[in-house]
Amino acid sequence: MGEIRLQVIDVSKNFGITKALKNVSFNIDKGEIHALIGENGSGKSTLTNSLTGIYKKDSGKFILDGKEINPANQVEANNEGVSIIVQELGTLDGLTVAENIFLGHEDRFVKFGIKNTNAMNKEANDLLKKYGFERIKASDMIENYNFEDRKLVEIVKATYFDPKIVVIDETTTALSREGREELYKQMNRIKESGNSVIFISHDLPEVLKMSDTITVLRDGVFIDTVRSSSIDEEGLKKLMVGREVTGGYYRSDYGEKVSSEVVMSVKNVTVPGLISDVSFDLHKGEILGFGGLSESGMHEVGKACFGASFDREGSVTLSDGTKINDIPTAIKHSIAYTSKDRDNESLVMNQSIRDNICLPSLTALANKLHLLSDRRLKKFANKYAETMSTKMQSVDQFVSNLSGGNKQKVVLARWLGKDSDILLLDSPTRGIDVKVKQDIYQLMDKMRKEGKSIIMISEELMELIGMCDRIIIMKDGKINGELERNKDMDENSLIAKMV
Amino acid sequence: MANKENTEVLKDEALKKQSFLNILRASLPIIGLIIVFIVFNALTKGNMWTSRKLILNQIYVVLISAVGVFFVMTLGGLDFSQGSIMGIASIVVCKLSGVNMILAIVGGVVAGALIGAFNGYFYVNRKIKSFIVTICTMFLFRGFIKYMASNSPVAASMKVYDYDTTPIKLGITVAVLLISYVVFRFTKFGINLKAIGAGEKAVMFAGVKTDKVKFLIYVLAGAITGLAAFVNIVKNGSATANVGNQLETQILIALVLGGMPISGGAKVRFENVIVGSLLYIVLNNGLIMMGLTTQAMQLIQGVIFLIFVAIFADRENLSVIK
Repeated sequence: MGEIRLQVIDVSKNFGITKALKNVSFNIDKGEIHALIGENGSGKSTLTNSLTGIYKKDSGKFILDGKEINPANQVEANNEGVSIIVQELGTLDGLTVAENIFLGHEDRFVKFGIKNTNAMNKEANDLLKKYGFERIKASDMIENYNFEDRKLVEIVKATYFDPKIVVIDETTTALSREGREELYKQMNRIKESGNSVIFISHDLPEVLKMSDTITVLRDGVFIDTVRSSSIDEEGLKKLMVGREVTGGYYRSDYGEKVSSEVVMSVKNVTVPGLISDVSFDLHKGEILGFGGLSESGMHEVGKACFGASFDREGSVTLSDGTKINDIPTAIKHSIAYTSKDRDNESLVMNQSIRDNICLPSLTALANKLHLLSDRRLKKFANKYAETMSTKMQSVDQFVSNLSGGNKQKVVLARWLGKDSDILLLDSPTRGIDVKVKQDIYQLMDKMRKEGKSIIMISEELMELIGMCDRIIIMKDGKINGELERNKDMDENSLIAKMV
Repeated sequence: MANKENTEVLKDEALKKQSFLNILRASLPIIGLIIVFIVFNALTKGNMWTSRKLILNQIYVVLISAVGVFFVMTLGGLDFSQGSIMGIASIVVCKLSGVNMILAIVGGVVAGALIGAFNGYFYVNRKIKSFIVTICTMFLFRGFIKYMASNSPVAASMKVYDYDTTPIKLGITVAVLLISYVVFRFTKFGINLKAIGAGEKAVMFAGVKTDKVKFLIYVLAGAITGLAAFVNIVKNGSATANVGNQLETQILIALVLGGMPISGGAKVRFENVIVGSLLYIVLNNGLIMMGLTTQAMQLIQGVIFLIFVAIFADRENLSVIK
């Protein structure tokens, strides 16, 4: 092993009652990509946020090149040589690209109290050119760029000053394939220059491919540090979960015939600016996958089938001839939808688990006088929350306090309770750890066998290949190909149709 | 293992502490009501208790119309037009009271509902923030009232005094409260209402026709205030140009004193209306009995209002006022 760059010694952090980190110690070497993995809530982000000054740790030390660092905020962390790229948007609206890149470091361009904007823009443009992002202009407002490009700006912002350590916190889940490749390139560049990367990701194949060393956390406790070359995916899962992950991860059957009975027929559906002329049939007992780049329009397909798209043309028809044009009709005819934007569109955050689960089923739960009893609602919510084995104190707890995986369980519990026959699942496993993922895959397989039909929209190609009877690939708002379930299908055959 | 048990205990303790704080917060309005009542009785040497009938007489109008605004605020909206709705509906009640008393009641309710529908249309269909819409309607209908009642007050038929009895006024108030309580707590409508206040988009995706609910709530709030207008006329006998003036502020203060979170949502409780209205009226009368001037009273009310908002504002949720 190489020389030590960062020593993490006995770091602890509590949030009120929750011990997020318990005496975590490990080392990071110079010139390595060091992955940090663990289930949701294992303390990965807490650790890196403490390192970069976003949180204040309660005890322990970070020793960078032999010197203890204790940054109070991100700017101080930058000055110590540590930077971070966060999971969601880390750039600020209302500022130019250049102002975002140099946020907190504007002093370099200030003379006698006046900011030299030209010098700042020039330097930013030079940087963007150096990184190969010429199409981004330093003087433009940041909000003129899409999510991908803003992430690229963030990469520049976090790395232009050659920090000794760059933290990349689950950034890849938010990026399309091109964005990821760009990020991988930058990670390797940092590594080659002798600096180190701390890489947080849920995507284990990606972790194995990119990193040199992997540290596993579980419930805020350090479990192990291993060389990537000496472990495989199963081994990592075992370390993360603390026990053998038994049973298959995805479906294991191949060559099963899907019923020819059509339950939903989508004809010439167009949503201006998002999708155009999309037609397909969904069969009984089928899992139909939709794949593509994030901007390919595949996410809108789910909304369109649920009657939630604005300005939709074309038709969505059920087997009994019902046309789906609005959400209440969709729900009434046993269609369920889980949004990619879980926190805004699928869940009422500041509301109890009970009400979130009962919301679409209230009519069915009312008595003859249209009255609802608290006990009945509670019983109903408990039943389905427990079926999904949701981790909670009680169903009266607010959804906002749950972890990502448990929130998703509440969403699914709601539609289980409604006993929906057609499920439109958009990114059902986004940002969710291995164990919950496995639960969701098993649930989907069970529903399929019960004759329910599922549309699964996902950016994770492996789960599409593993779970779907058929995969439709979208590109630029149009259907660009269809693949049947088959043992030998690999990611490349899908990617070929995506780009 | 011992470590784990240890954290469990810690967790339990912290949860207890948290729920204790929540209970304290929830019971603050009631405790406040009792304290204020005792203090004022002491200060006025029991005068307040002896004039309890007079005080009760003032509470009906505020309490009834506060129920409508309570619904509006539960879904995250605001309504400043209640004073003007009260004014217009009162004039309608006066005019119709000569014809038939049932017609007068229905007329007041319909007039209120129509103005509510006017609010609802601009709020829901034209997508203007509710506090802007209702401030506009407040001024608009206050204008009409001034036209109609400036020269001389609109007098009701003498028959209305027959209805000026405690059983009738209290009966109407209790009926409104009871029905509203059942609707709020035990129907789909009530649960949807709270959910919209907590997160409208997700509720829409759960199949609720949120626009319809929002529109109906404004109609309902107007109708309820229209009913309160009947009680108001029964009490006063005529409608002046100032009828219902500042009712909206009184309601807002009452609800906030009752512990109502300004942004609505899941933490709203029906008790907020009742305790708040009582607290407001007691406070108001107490200050009058103490012989304070109007200026001093407004000053004190402002301070108290601010303190309560500071205590009850749900800061995580404040961005969703609609």
